[in-house]
Amino acid sequence: MDELTREFLIESQEGLDRMERCLTDLEERPQDAGLIGEIFRSVHTIKGTTGFLGFKRLETLAHAGENLLGQLREGKLTANRPIITGLLHLLDGLRSILKTIEADSNEGEGEDTGLIGRLEELQVPAQARAKHPAHARAGATSAPVLPAEPERAQPAALESVPEEPAQAATPAPMAPVEAEGDQVRPRAQGTAAESTLRVDVTLLNRMMNLVGELVLTRNQVLQATSADPRMTLLSRRLDMVTADLRESVMKARMQPVSNIFSKMPRIVRDLSQSLGRRVRLQVEGQDTELDKSLLEAIKDPLTHAVRNSLDHGIEPPDVRESAGKDPEGTLKLRAAQEGSHVIIEVYDDGAGICVEKIRKKAVERGLITAQRAARQSERELLQLIFVPGFSTAAAVTNVSGRGVGMDVVRTNVEKIGGKVEIDSRAGKGTTLRMRIPLTLAIIPALIVRSLNQSFALPQGALSELVHIPPEQAAAAIEWIENAPLYRLRGKLLPLVFLDRLLMPGVEHKMAAERDNFIAVLDADGRRFGLVVDGLADPEEIVVKPLSAVLKTIGLFSGATVLGNAELALILDPGSIALKAGVSMREEDAVRANEGETDAGAVAALEYLLVEAAGRQAAVPLADVLRIEQLPLSRIEYIGYRPVLNFEGQLLPVEDSGGVLAAVEGNPQAQIIVVVCREANRHVGIAVSHVLDVAAGGDLFEAGTAQRTGGVTLLKNRVTNVVDLGVVAPLPAGEAQPAWSEIGETVA
Amino acid sequence: MSTATTALRGKEKAPAAALVEMCTVRLGSSIFGVPITHILEIVGAARPQPVPLAPIFVGGLVHYRGDVLTTVSLRQLLGLPPGEGRQDLLVLESADGIFGLLVDAVGEVLTASPADHEPNPSILDERRRALFAGAYKLKDSLLVMLDPEQLDPMRLSAARAA
Repeated sequence: MDELTREFLIESQEGLDRMERCLTDLEERPQDAGLIGEIFRSVHTIKGTTGFLGFKRLETLAHAGENLLGQLREGKLTANRPIITGLLHLLDGLRSILKTIEADSNEGEGEDTGLIGRLEELQVPAQARAKHPAHARAGATSAPVLPAEPERAQPAALESVPEEPAQAATPAPMAPVEAEGDQVRPRAQGTAAESTLRVDVTLLNRMMNLVGELVLTRNQVLQATSADPRMTLLSRRLDMVTADLRESVMKARMQPVSNIFSKMPRIVRDLSQSLGRRVRLQVEGQDTELDKSLLEAIKDPLTHAVRNSLDHGIEPPDVRESAGKDPEGTLKLRAAQEGSHVIIEVYDDGAGICVEKIRKKAVERGLITAQRAARQSERELLQLIFVPGFSTAAAVTNVSGRGVGMDVVRTNVEKIGGKVEIDSRAGKGTTLRMRIPLTLAIIPALIVRSLNQSFALPQGALSELVHIPPEQAAAAIEWIENAPLYRLRGKLLPLVFLDRLLMPGVEHKMAAERDNFIAVLDADGRRFGLVVDGLADPEEIVVKPLSAVLKTIGLFSGATVLGNAELALILDPGSIALKAGVSMREEDAVRANEGETDAGAVAALEYLLVEAAGRQAAVPLADVLRIEQLPLSRIEYIGYRPVLNFEGQLLPVEDSGGVLAAVEGNPQAQIIVVVCREANRHVGIAVSHVLDVAAGGDLFEAGTAQRTGGVTLLKNRVTNVVDLGVVAPLPAGEAQPAWSEIGETVA
Repeated sequence: MSTATTALRGKEKAPAAALVEMCTVRLGSSIFGVPITHILEIVGAARPQPVPLAPIFVGGLVHYRGDVLTTVSLRQLLGLPPGEGRQDLLVLESADGIFGLLVDAVGEVLTASPADHEPNPSILDERRRALFAGAYKLKDSLLVMLDPEQLDPMRLSAARAA
């Protein structure tokens, strides 16, 4: 038995267990929509998976059950005793087929038509059946429910449904299993149930928490014992063991996404064949690692998303051709880590989603009012497809279209604290984006201070830091009405003051009365500056979930315990941007364009483009630690060499551009020093302006085709790259070792 | 002391009528009881970390055995002015999970007979009636019982929303 089938068996069995529990509950609460939904999803998942595993018998049976459950879910039927009995028989039928599959890897030759017939019969309301007892089947086909179920005629088995009593029919599927089941079952259970060990997610979380706790305790022990030489050896050992343990626990839980991506090619192939599509599957970022439990949780949503893309997204080849597209559609799966999240995208270049259709359908179904529908943006309307029971598909097909898929996607992703977003352009394609948090992981974060409290800011979203001392604040922070802005390299950056956001309605210190640090954040395409009043060291933090009450605040993605045992809330840059109303549309467009033009040049180096006394030069961005604006008077000289006394340490300043000389004698002049890392020391470069950040292109010497050093192609201009290596070291001795101690690893 | 003796005697006579054990907590000048069955741990002098924008009854976050625990400030919940100095923390368990309860001070453990229990008086205002679980008639005073299930932050926020 292959891996796929084995996993399908384990999962289906779990699903059926859940279904059984729900069914017994349903008997007592027949109106409970949540229970019906849960049962429906169990059956739907089985049906979906069997489709591509090729278990026709199982699929047909599950399909019949799903039809009945669909009626229950839409409220056209109420779960009475006969229906529940019927569903329990369906459960038994599914179970027995699963057992046969587990025993001999095929479905066996059982006969399910009786059971299917009974399930069909149950779909007809009782009164209709009572009037025409002899024409129950005929009644079913002309019942008013029919238009919602156009594919009714599809399974061939239905045509031959006998009019026999259900009691006689139900044992039929069981018979072939029981005959051989007794000898086979013990061995079969051993293969699937014993070879894998399923550990409760809460237990894994607990382990991670305890390891986090141990890390914290270790930090405190290290601090407390540093003075005592006898303890040093012991605490060093404790330190090592803790680090190893932490790594092992983390590693035990991490798996590459290829584990689930690798299942997709088969699904895509089988589905595209049965749907008559031509599809090319592209997979990107297979090595991205994700916590095991999270990986498990996104498997279903991912499968559903892929099925949806094939069924509703990518058009049949002839339609594509007449629309001027490549008859072969593209389905792209992409995984990437973005800060504290893993992004998983399912992209197809299919028909896209018609927003008007969604608007119409949503109003029709009473999901939103017509006025609201008219007001909502396209992007917001698109998100409606995640509402349970919503489907724009013209016909319900065997693959998807009941609207349950997207519902499952959202339910499952949100269960693990993730988010789903859909982006679609009619005629162009659709991208489904799942943002999965690394809730259980340890993430690097910058600790910032505001309101006399510490907050953790995930490094992933942080692109740079700007320091504005109080005396410059009035000039540097500009206002349009009551919107604060900062000119970052000539572009206006919207600012969000963290203290004002967190404590509205209270008088806060003006920017000019305190230090300001702008953390330039990039959250889901929203770019803004978060203003805080202090910075502390970056730290590796253990993310701990917040209680539901505090989650609803929305600005915090968790909490953590810092090295000094202080608690800090973890800021969620995306939610902050939303709450502060930072828009993403414009940025989105820019990003999309960049994405197109730069697609081939992903690996290109990024440079900071600076101007020194009229000439442009480039500094490799990776080497830039920070950019300081300061008065000329801060520059001092050792002999003829300019140096900067920078936070108590000496920084040699390179002035090959003659910036310092140009403003010499003007005591009010402001200069900019780019602080860079060069080997194991730090150097400063004096510049007059910082212009931009851009990706550089390689240049090749004509004739030799050798790559040239020292220059790069930046924004289509040949630009000199500043050679940091030529900055002469300061006189050796006491100054030299200090360079490595400048711990500015910000941004 | 006298309570304990009576309690013992009561136990000998009728072991079926199980005695109720409760922990008393002080808030300003009032004393409340918390059933001991719901208390996981008592932490003295906690320093909760405030959470901006949280509902008013949230007293902040505390670090408890590897978890970050949401606490409920009994003072803020009952509309009393914020207390001075450090508060004691009770770690409570409800049906939905664990949470912390911040009180001025934790007192002693008392036992009482269920026979002395009376439900909430009807003249009590509605908000308090939801939080209290009746009172025990002690020899010289009434001990108002807090209902840990109702103090759960999840429950409180649902009640406020309603």
